[in-house]
Amino acid sequence: MELLSNLALGFGVALSPFTLFLAVVGCFLGTIIGALPGLGPSNGVAILIPLAFSLGLDATSALVLMTSVYYGAMYGGRISSILLNIPGDEPALMTTLDGYPMAKAGRAGDALVLSGFASFFGALFATIGLMLLAPVLSRIAYQFGPAEYFALYLLAFSTLGGIASNNQAKAALASCIGLGIAMIGLDNQTGMPRLTGGNLHLMDGIDFLVAIVGLFAVAEVFIFIESHGKGSSIGVKLEKVTLPVRDLVRGIGTMIRCSTIGFIAGVLPGAGASLGSFLAYVGEKKWRGGDRSGFGKGDPQGVIAPEAGNNSAAGGALVPMLTLGVPGSGTTAVLLALLMTLNITPGPTLFTDRPEVVWGLIASLLIANFVLLAMNVPLVKIFVKILTVPPWVLLPGVMMVSFVGIFSLTGSYFDLLLMIVFGIIGWLFRKLDIPTVPIILGILLGKHMEDALRRAMILSDGDWTYLFSSGISIGLWAFAILGFVAPFFLRHIIKKPQAITD
Amino acid sequence: MKSDRLFGVVIIFGALAYAAGALQIQTSFMSDPVGSKTFPLILAGVAALCGLVMILKPDTDPDWPNARTFGSLIVSVAVMIAYAYTIKPLGFMIPTAVCAAILSYQISPRPVPAVLTGIGLSIGLFLVFKYALGLGLQPFPKSWF
Amino acid sequence: MKTKLRALALGATLSLVGSATLAAECIAPANPGGGWDFTCRQIGKILHDIGQVDNPVQVTNMAGGGGGLAFSHVVNERSDDSDLIVAASQATATRLAQNAYAGMTADQVRFVGAIGADPGVIVVAADSPFQTLGDMVDAVKADPGSVAFAGGSAAGGFDHLKVLMVLKDAGFTDITKVKYIGVDGGADAITQTIGGFTQGMTGDMSEIVGFLQSGEVRALAVLTEERVPGFEDVPTAKEQGFDVVAVNWRGLYVPKDISDEDFETWGAKLQAVADSDEWKEAMAANGLAPFTKVGGDFQSWVDGVIADTVELSKEIGVLQ
Repeated sequence: MELLSNLALGFGVALSPFTLFLAVVGCFLGTIIGALPGLGPSNGVAILIPLAFSLGLDATSALVLMTSVYYGAMYGGRISSILLNIPGDEPALMTTLDGYPMAKAGRAGDALVLSGFASFFGALFATIGLMLLAPVLSRIAYQFGPAEYFALYLLAFSTLGGIASNNQAKAALASCIGLGIAMIGLDNQTGMPRLTGGNLHLMDGIDFLVAIVGLFAVAEVFIFIESHGKGSSIGVKLEKVTLPVRDLVRGIGTMIRCSTIGFIAGVLPGAGASLGSFLAYVGEKKWRGGDRSGFGKGDPQGVIAPEAGNNSAAGGALVPMLTLGVPGSGTTAVLLALLMTLNITPGPTLFTDRPEVVWGLIASLLIANFVLLAMNVPLVKIFVKILTVPPWVLLPGVMMVSFVGIFSLTGSYFDLLLMIVFGIIGWLFRKLDIPTVPIILGILLGKHMEDALRRAMILSDGDWTYLFSSGISIGLWAFAILGFVAPFFLRHIIKKPQAITD
Repeated sequence: MKSDRLFGVVIIFGALAYAAGALQIQTSFMSDPVGSKTFPLILAGVAALCGLVMILKPDTDPDWPNARTFGSLIVSVAVMIAYAYTIKPLGFMIPTAVCAAILSYQISPRPVPAVLTGIGLSIGLFLVFKYALGLGLQPFPKSWF
Repeated sequence: MKTKLRALALGATLSLVGSATLAAECIAPANPGGGWDFTCRQIGKILHDIGQVDNPVQVTNMAGGGGGLAFSHVVNERSDDSDLIVAASQATATRLAQNAYAGMTADQVRFVGAIGADPGVIVVAADSPFQTLGDMVDAVKADPGSVAFAGGSAAGGFDHLKVLMVLKDAGFTDITKVKYIGVDGGADAITQTIGGFTQGMTGDMSEIVGFLQSGEVRALAVLTEERVPGFEDVPTAKEQGFDVVAVNWRGLYVPKDISDEDFETWGAKLQAVADSDEWKEAMAANGLAPFTKVGGDFQSWVDGVIADTVELSKEIGVLQ
C-alpha cells in the first residue's frame, strides 16, 4: 500500500503540465542524441547538464528532463545501428549484429518496430523493478557504515575494471587517475589544500562536469576529425513501417528473459548497459541453439534480445545510483554528477528526505516510456531523417555547445582549457584502449572513498581489520576481488566484441 | 606494443611525481589515523603497478593517424584554445563562426560547406542559447556599442 | 594570484553583462542551491517585494574557496561599492576564525546583520542508552573512545565545535580525544547514528526534522537560549546545565569602505525584511528559527563568536 501512495505522490509531481512537457522534450532530444552517430547517452547527457542547469529548473524538473534524455538516448541508439550499421552508442553495438542484416534484407521497418517494442518492454520491466527494489535496498543501507561503503566503492571500481573492460591493468589505471584527480583540492577532514600547486583555481578541486564534457564530448570531436567523418552516411533506405505481429508475439519470451538478465547486469555497480545487452544477446543465442540459430544473419529475435537487455540494464543501473550513491554505468555516473550539482546526495536518505524527487522520477520514467514508444514506433521516420545530418555540421556544433555550457556554468577560462586537456586525454586513451568511464567514476567517488576509509579508521582507532569486520563488508570484498579476477578465466570462454566502455 | 610500453613509462613517472606531491601535503595538528597522505600514496602505488603491467604485457599498437591528420588535430586543439580565450572579449558570434568553420573543415575539407556551417551554427546556436535557454550571451564585442 | 582572481571574477559575472548598473547586487559565495544562495535569493526577492529596493536584486553566484573567493573579491575590488551585499552565515565566521581565507580577516568587511538561524542540535538514535545530554557527557568523560560523533561539517568545522563546546563547558579538557567523523551532510550523519556506527549526531535543526517526526532519533538538546517554537519538547542545553548557544545564523556582510550612512541603510532594510511576513514564511518553510541581530550589535556578536572559535580551534589544533 505504501508503494501505491508513493506512486500517487510521484504521479502528482510528474503529471504537472510542465513536468510532462519536460519529459516529452527530453524523450525527443534523447532519441535524437541516441540516433546521431557519435553521440550517446553518456556524452549526450553530459553536454546537456550545464545547459539544463542554466535554465534554473528545480531539482525534480531537471532530473525528469535529464532522465528522459537518458531513456530516449537508449531508445535512439538502435536507429543508426539498424540503418547504418553504426551503433549510435556503445550499448547499441549488439543490435547491429542482426539489425543491419535485417535492414539489408529489406526489413528495416520491421527491425525498428520490433526493437522499439523490445526497448519499451525492457525499460518498463526495469522501471517496475526499480520501484520494487530500490526502497528495499535503501533500507538495507542503514547497515552501511564507513567500512561497508569503502568496500562498496571498491566493488564498483573492480567490476567496472574487471567484467566491463578488456584489460584490467588499464581499467585500474583509469580508476587511479580519476581517484587521483579527486584528491586535488581541500582535504575534507583537515581543510588543508592538497596537490593544488598553490593554484587557487584548484582549491575546490576539478569540477567533474568539466572532466565529463572533455572526456566524452570534446574527445568525440577529435575522433571524428581523425576519421574525417568517413563512413557515416551510407545507409539503407527505410520503406514502409508496419507492425510485424508474428515476430512480436514470438518475441515475448525473449523479452522477458533478456529484460531479466539486463536488469541484473544493470543493478551490479559498475557493470552497466553495454554488459546488459551483451549478456542478453549471448544468453538468448545460447537459448535458441547457439550457432544453429539464425542469430547474426538477421533474426528478428536477435534484434529484440539486445534492445530489451540494454534498456532494462539502463533502468537497473538507477537502483544502486539512487539507493547507495554508486552508479552502475557510465551514464548513471553522469546522472550522479547531475544530482550532486543539484545538491541532492543520493543514498539511503534520499527516499526519506526527498520522496518527491525519487517518486517523481520513477513516475516520469513510466510516462517517458509510453511517450518513447509512441515516438519510436509510429514516428520513427522523423528520427531517420535526422541521421542525414553530416558529421561536419554536427561535431562543430557539439563542441560549441560544450564550450558555452561549461563557460556559463563556471565562467572560467581555466575550466575551458582544462576541458580541452581532458578532451585530448580522452582521445589518447581511446586510442590506447584505456576506458575513460573509470576516470569519471573516480573523480565522482574519490573523496567519498577516501573519506569512508578515514572515517572507518577514526572509528576503529586505526585498526585495519575493521574494514573486514562485518558480514556485508566481507561479502563486498569477496565480490570485488572475484569481479576483478574472474574475467581472466572467463575471457577465453566468452569472446567479447571490441571496446565496451559504457 | 611500443605505444603501451611508452605510456607505461610515462605513467610510472607520473605516479612518482604524484607521490612526491603527496608527500609535500601539509598536515595539520589534528590528524586522523589515515591522514591526508596515505590514500594518494596508495593510488600512486597502484597506478605505478598498472604502468609496470603495461610495460611487461603491452597490447597491440593502435592505428596512429598519419602526419597530416595529426596536423589537423593540432590545428583543432589550437582553435579550441583560441576559442576559449576569445569568446568573452569578442562576443559569441564571431569566434563561434570562425572556430566552427575551421573545425568543420578539419572533418571534411570542403571550404564552402565549412564556412556555411560556421555561420549557420553561430547564428542558430546564438538564438537557441539566448532565447530558448535564456543565457546572457553577448553577441558582439562590447566596444562596438 | 590577484590577476587570476580578477579573471575568475570577471568570468563569473559574464551572465550579467550590461545590466547591473542600477540594481543592488547580492553575491552568493557558492553555487546555486545551497544556504548562501537561499539567503541571497530570498532576501533579494523580499527586499523588492516589500518595496525596499526599486529594481530586483541581482544575484551573482561566485563559488570558490568555501566563500573565500567572494570574500577576496569584495575586499580587493569592491571595497567601496554601496550597492553590494554578500550572503554570510556561521560558516563564514568559522572559516575567518580558522584562517581559511588565506590570511584575510573579519575586519576587512562589515557585518550587517543576521535575520534567522538554524539552531544547533545534538541527537541520538531512538534506542540509545543516553536519555539526557548529561548522560552523554558522563559517558565521554568516563571513556572518550566509547562515544563517536558524526556531523555534516569537516573535522574542526562548526558541527564538530558544537560538541566540543558542550564538553568544555562540562569541564572536560582533553577534547582532542573526542571521536568525530565529518560526513556529507546531516542526513548522512543521522544514518550513521541510526545504523549504530556512531553514538551521537551533531548538526542543525533543519537537518533532523524529518527523522524526529518518524521517531528514528531523539534530540538530546538544542543549543539555543530558549526552546525552539514547534519543537517545544526538545530541551535546551542551557536548562540541562550546559551554557552553550550555537546557531548557524544566516545574514549579510557589506564592503568595509562604504559610508556609515549606507551601512545604516542596509541595516534598516534588513530589519524590514526580518519583520516581513514573507520572511517568516520563508523561515518556516526552511527550518529556520527567528534570530534577529542587526547593526553594531551584530558586529560585536560576530567578533565574540570568532574569538571563541579561535580559542577552541587552537585547542584542538586546527589553528596553530
